[in-house]
Order: sequence, then C-alpha cells, then structure tokens
Amino acid sequence: MEETLNKLAGLGLSRRGFLAGAGAATAATLVGCSDNGTPMSNVPVAPTAPSVTDVDILNFALNLEYLEAEFYLRAATGTGLASADGGGATVTGGAKVPLTGFYANLANELAQTELAHVRAIRATITSLGGTPVAAPAIDFTNAFNGAAFAAGIGPAFNPFAGDINSYLIGAFVFEDVGVTAYAGAAPLVTNKKVLDAAAGIQAVEAYHAASIRNLITYGAFTSNDQTFLNYANEIAQLRSKLGGGMETILNPVSGYKAATATSNVTVSPSTIVACDSTNAIGFARSYSQVLHIVYATQPGTFTASGGFFPSGMNGTIKTPIA
Amino acid sequence: MATLETQKIDSIIASRRTMLLGGGALALAAFTSATGKAAIPAAPTDNDILNFALNLEYLEAQFYTLATEGTYADLSALGSATTTGAGTAKGSASTSTTVVTKANTTSIKGNVIAPVPFTNAAIAAYAFETALEERRHVNVLKTTLGSLAVAQPTIDLLNSFYALGSLLSPSVPNFDPFANDLNFLLGAYIFEDVGVSAYHGAATLIADVKNVLPPAVGIHAVEAYHAGLVRSSIAAYDGGVVKIPGETRAGASGLTVQISNIRATVDGTISGTPDDIGVTVKNVALNTASATFASSTTANADSNYIGWARSVRQVLNIVYAAPGTPSKGAFFPNGLNGNIS
Repeated sequence: MEETLNKLAGLGLSRRGFLAGAGAATAATLVGCSDNGTPMSNVPVAPTAPSVTDVDILNFALNLEYLEAEFYLRAATGTGLASADGGGATVTGGAKVPLTGFYANLANELAQTELAHVRAIRATITSLGGTPVAAPAIDFTNAFNGAAFAAGIGPAFNPFAGDINSYLIGAFVFEDVGVTAYAGAAPLVTNKKVLDAAAGIQAVEAYHAASIRNLITYGAFTSNDQTFLNYANEIAQLRSKLGGGMETILNPVSGYKAATATSNVTVSPSTIVACDSTNAIGFARSYSQVLHIVYATQPGTFTASGGFFPSGMNGTIKTPIA
Repeated sequence: MATLETQKIDSIIASRRTMLLGGGALALAAFTSATGKAAIPAAPTDNDILNFALNLEYLEAQFYTLATEGTYADLSALGSATTTGAGTAKGSASTSTTVVTKANTTSIKGNVIAPVPFTNAAIAAYAFETALEERRHVNVLKTTLGSLAVAQPTIDLLNSFYALGSLLSPSVPNFDPFANDLNFLLGAYIFEDVGVSAYHGAATLIADVKNVLPPAVGIHAVEAYHAGLVRSSIAAYDGGVVKIPGETRAGASGLTVQISNIRATVDGTISGTPDDIGVTVKNVALNTASATFASSTTANADSNYIGWARSVRQVLNIVYAAPGTPSKGAFFPNGLNGNIS
C-alpha cells in the first residue's frame, strides 16, 4: 500500500493543494513587478490562509453557483435569482437570449441546473448549522468586456447578444472552471456527505462543460468557421494565465479520411475533455487560482474583488493567498 | 428530430418503463448464466477500489480502440497503447478468449474487426479522443498499482450487446455498436454514465484523501466529460443540430431512455427513485412558479441536478447485466478480476 501511494504521489498529477496554491513559486517571481516590468514601491504580502470549515468551502462554491445561476437564468428568462434563493444584490448586464429548439432546451437545462445547485448548497449549509451567504454583486457587462480585451478577442464581448455562438462562449467561460474548483475542494472536505454532494455536482459541471465544448467544436466544423472556436481558446489561454495553467485547447476537427476497402477512418482526435495530456486526469485548482479567474487578477496579487465580482465574493474564502 | 411528436413518444416510453422493464428484468435474469455470489469486501482497500476501476477502464479502452482502429487497446498505433496482454493474436480474434468481438470482415491489415465507418468527422474525432483517454486511464491505474494491478479479465463486446439489443422495444436484434456513428454513440452511452457513477460512489470509500482521492476525482470528471459528450451528441442529433451523413433513423433519445431504465432495473432502483435518466426533454420551472420551460437532460443527474453515485454492487449489476448478486455476466463473462468481483 505504501509503495502504491508513493507511486501515486510521484506521478506528478495536478494535485495542487486547494488551500496552499501551487502558484506560490510563480507568484514570487511576479511580486514586485507591475505589468510593464517596472518595480513597484509597495510589494504585496500574501495574506495568511484562513482556517476553513466545510461550511466555508460550501459558501465558496455557492458564490460560483450564484454567478452561473445568474448568467444562465438571465439568458433563459431575462430575470435572475429570487431573494428566496439568495439573489437581490446588484447584477450588471444579462438579458434573455432568444434561442429555439435544441439550443433553447439546453439553455433551460443549464439554468435549471445552476438554480438547483444554489438551492442544494444553501440547504446543505443550513443542515450543517451554517448560514448560506447571500449572492454578492455581479457584473457581467464589464467582466466579459474585460475578459475579451485581455484575451485578445476585441474591445467588447456580449454573450447575451442573441446568437447561439456568443452564448456558448459565455458559458464556456464558466463551465470548466467549476469542474476544477470542485476537484480542488473535494480532498479538503471532511464530511463524507458533503464530499458525496460535491462529487455529484462536479460530475454535472463536467457533463455540461463537455456539452459546451462539444457544441463549440461542432459549430466550427459544420460552419467551416473557426471564429468562435478561436475565441474559446483565447479565453482558455487567459484562464490558464490567471488560474495556474490547467487548460486544454480545443482542437478543430481535421484530417478526416473516410474508410475504404483497404483503410480505416482516420481523423485527428478532438480535445473536448479538459484534462492532463499524459494520464487523462481532470484538473484541480486551488481556491486562489479560481479567485484569480473570476476576479480577473494576476497570480501573486491579493485583491479580494474584481471581474465578475466587483465587490468580491461573500464568505470566509474570498481573498487569494497566492 | 425532436419534434413535439417524438418528445411525446419519449414521454410515453418513459411512462411505460415499469411495464417494459418488468419484462426486461426477467429477460436479463434469463440471459445471465451467472450464478453464485459476487465477492465484495465489507471494507475494500484503496487498492481494491483502484483495481475495480481498472477493470472498467479495460472495458472502455477495448471498446473505443476497437471502434476507432479496429484493433485491441494494446495494439493501438495512436498513442498510449495499453499493456493488457490481451488479444495479441492480431487479426484473428473474432473468438479471442480475452476480448470477444464480431468476426473480422475486412481485409485491412492488422484489423481485428471492421471499426466504425464514421461518416461524421466530428463524431469520429470524439471517438478517437475518448479511446486515447481511456487507454491513458488504464495505464495510469496500472502504473499506480504496479505489481498489484489485476490483469484484464475476459471482455465480451459481442453477446453483451446482442442481449441488450433484444431488451429494447422494438427489439434490435444483433445490435452492433461498431456498425455506424449512431450505433456507436448508443454503445458508448451504455458505458459512460456508469463510469461516472462508479467513480462517484468510490470517492467516499477512499481512505487516502491526500493521494488517492484527487486523481480519482480527476478521472471521475473525465468520465463525466465523456458522458456529456455522448449525451449532448445524441440530443443534438435528435434535435437536428448534429447531422450524420447516411443516417435517417429518428428516436435515438427514446433508446437512451430505455437503456437508462434497464440500468436502473438491474441496479435495483427502478421501483423507487431510478438512479438514471435518459437523454430526453422535460419541463422545468426555472425561476418561475410553473414548469413550462422545455429542458434537455444532457447531464445524468437527480432532481437536484446532482450526479448519481452507485455502489460497487450496483455497478457490478450493470456490467453483468443482471439484478441480484451475480458474479459474472454480459460484458465480463468470467467476472471482474480482483477482490471486488
């Protein structure tokens, strides 16, 4: 058994500690430099990691679910979370996206899913004797514009513009991040029932991440237009920069040759699954890495707000420590 | 096409599940020759659990590699070939003792069977990706377990699918998951959700939460990505978004509903809360008072949209395709290898 564990430990899997944040080394090289390389006068000091309970971890997850629920509900119905579900804080941007058929059904599924996750996590926190945090202020308009600019897509991007491609790119921004956040949190949870629920939510986030990545890849294939697939990859590269790597770039469908009497079908494998390319194991992110993505801040900075959360997340876990 | 009409058909099929599945369960019991009681330790070790997972990964790696390259996972020419030691008799293994497949009808050098003649390049690309990732899972588990890794058990990818096809309504005789794109998606559908629920169920059993749980959770996510890929492709095909050249059959979603019901029947949950949902359309309320929004089910999850966890026993029921306590059957005619079998 010991031998087995040592082997596992030596595999170099993306097993970055959710709390510690393996970004520490990277952060050290960034601290003291502004973006243009000029030394800054005030060197930021990493905050001390707070002591966290299962309730704190669940509240961290709840903030992310609020973000997803507001995005998908507004896209599906034009309105967001009710106060009974923790909503009510200011939400900037978000509008109904007029989808039809299969895409409308998918958009409704995604919205119902994230609403259900909000409700399930709030109920779990309460059952553990904790208090669910309320939804923090959320800014879609400036966060998507900022992400588009930082990713090199352009000066502005509106996932609620009305077309399916823009909607899918908006969804792409969130889904893979949710998977990595739950993967990072799972080993820290002490209560097995909470672990069970976290694994179940992680699975659903991964099912949906695959659906989104599948449809973006398929859309580029059938339209013979890589524009939105390229947008997704630019977003993935931005997330990689902010969130400690752990991204898989989408391959366009290429190299297909039909079967003949003397040869099998050949084609380049797709990369729908976000996972490491050696062992095909999904990525896990520390909470600091997740925060840098949703706050749109660089590793090694310790600001507790920004991006989608202009006033920061609510709860104990809201400040990056790496 | 997911017209209102076919949605109605789906819901009728779903509402008839108990009736259909009563018969299905009996047929399954009759099909399975297995007797005796499965071996499941009261307190499985982490190595027991990893070996249990390895058996499932062998199954998936063989299925996808045969589908894409027409050969065994250990003979893959496309990276991460496994070292299962199984089916090394290149091109002559229609009745291999280790992987039972259909007869080889091609003259393509090195083939064991004719792989899926994919006509949709995107579905082909997904199949090749999944094959690669399942071989990687075999290899990482074998590396992790080292000398403790179990060998590949005998795997049946012929009679198992025939039996399953006979349970569908209307019956699909001699169901061949390697025949075309849509059959391949349905064949993959049978596996992927099971892998997700198996890793989920195992997560809370793992003792070493620092070293074993993180990679298990990571593989769990990858299985869910695969399952989401298959389910969203089927939903998009029925919804007219994904086109398969040469394919005209409608109602693939209805078949997934039936397959899900069969899984829930053999794992014993059908009479209570079935732990499986097919690719279908149902109404949801969103943030309103009434359930009037048509919703797909590209994720296999409960009413709280949380994925299912299956016990080791339930996973064995599904891969052995029998209720009760079988020790072998269907995809594993000689049972799994390892302490959990």
